[in-house]
Amino acid sequence: MITIEGRDIPLDKEGFLRNLDDWSPEVAEALARAEGIELTEAHWEIIHLLQDFYREFELSPAMRPLVKYVAQHLGAEKGRSIYLMRLFPDSPAKLGSKIAGLPKPTNCL
Amino acid sequence: MSLHIVSKSPFSSTALADCLTSFIEGDALVLIEDGVYALSGALKSQPVVGPVYCLAADAQARGLTIPAAVEAIDDDRWASLCTEHNPIVSWFR
Amino acid sequence: MGKRSLALCRQAPYGNALAREGLEAVLAASALEQAPDLLFSGDGVFQLLPGQEPDGIGQKNLQRNLQALPIFDIERAYVCEHSLSQRGLSLDDLATGGPALHPVSDIGKLISSYDTVLSF
Repeated sequence: MITIEGRDIPLDKEGFLRNLDDWSPEVAEALARAEGIELTEAHWEIIHLLQDFYREFELSPAMRPLVKYVAQHLGAEKGRSIYLMRLFPDSPAKLGSKIAGLPKPTNCL
Repeated sequence: MSLHIVSKSPFSSTALADCLTSFIEGDALVLIEDGVYALSGALKSQPVVGPVYCLAADAQARGLTIPAAVEAIDDDRWASLCTEHNPIVSWFR
Repeated sequence: MGKRSLALCRQAPYGNALAREGLEAVLAASALEQAPDLLFSGDGVFQLLPGQEPDGIGQKNLQRNLQALPIFDIERAYVCEHSLSQRGLSLDDLATGGPALHPVSDIGKLISSYDTVLSF
């Protein structure tokens, strides 16, 4: 559970939104802060792309599809796991999906 | 070659018919659970090119007689058929 | 060379959960770099129809997920020709944008070339 502007927002035990409709930029900031991340322009670019991915495929991406999708849309320089790891450490697909308000990737073990 | 396992009655499911369209020479067919109802006529209208096995306990439970052309098997024989064939294809719907 | 596996998709998309479960299993396997090949046969070919809009029945769009397969490195899928013609369909009636669809006339031969077959 996190509280944003007086509103209680339920999370599951891994910190993903229980209701995807609860997402807002403020919620994203709070979810990121809970992970020790301060969101920059570079983060937002990936967050918006993750949301595009979800709109297009109704799926949260695993790591390789995310890298591929980023490369297709933002170019090869950013479409590399090292770049994404720097923004969202350890597990960019999972952490990025969480902050972007996507469901937990079912295919991310 | 493939071992096809059919577990639904041919009168309520396309499992057997679908299985038979993908059946090639050298494959084998095992009827289990409601798949054994194929003994009641369906296999005569759709002859199978390879060996057909039937789990004896499932046929007995349903009061079906296993014809001579079909080999009655127990669980051990079924397990050994599974190890003798590759891949195993399950037709369960 | 690793073991080859085939996902055999025989179910229409929304009447039961198998079509979705099959697709999720395939995507999960692809994350482990063990993506199986896909064969659509029987009513499974209906998964490939374009223009699916399942919002009205409260389900997620399976076809959108199928469109994601190439980005999950699943570039092609097989389709049973016989199942298509049985249903009055041809390859031209199927959705584009997902994996490249290859018609197969002898699915028995295709199936027997795999080590493992997963049925959905």
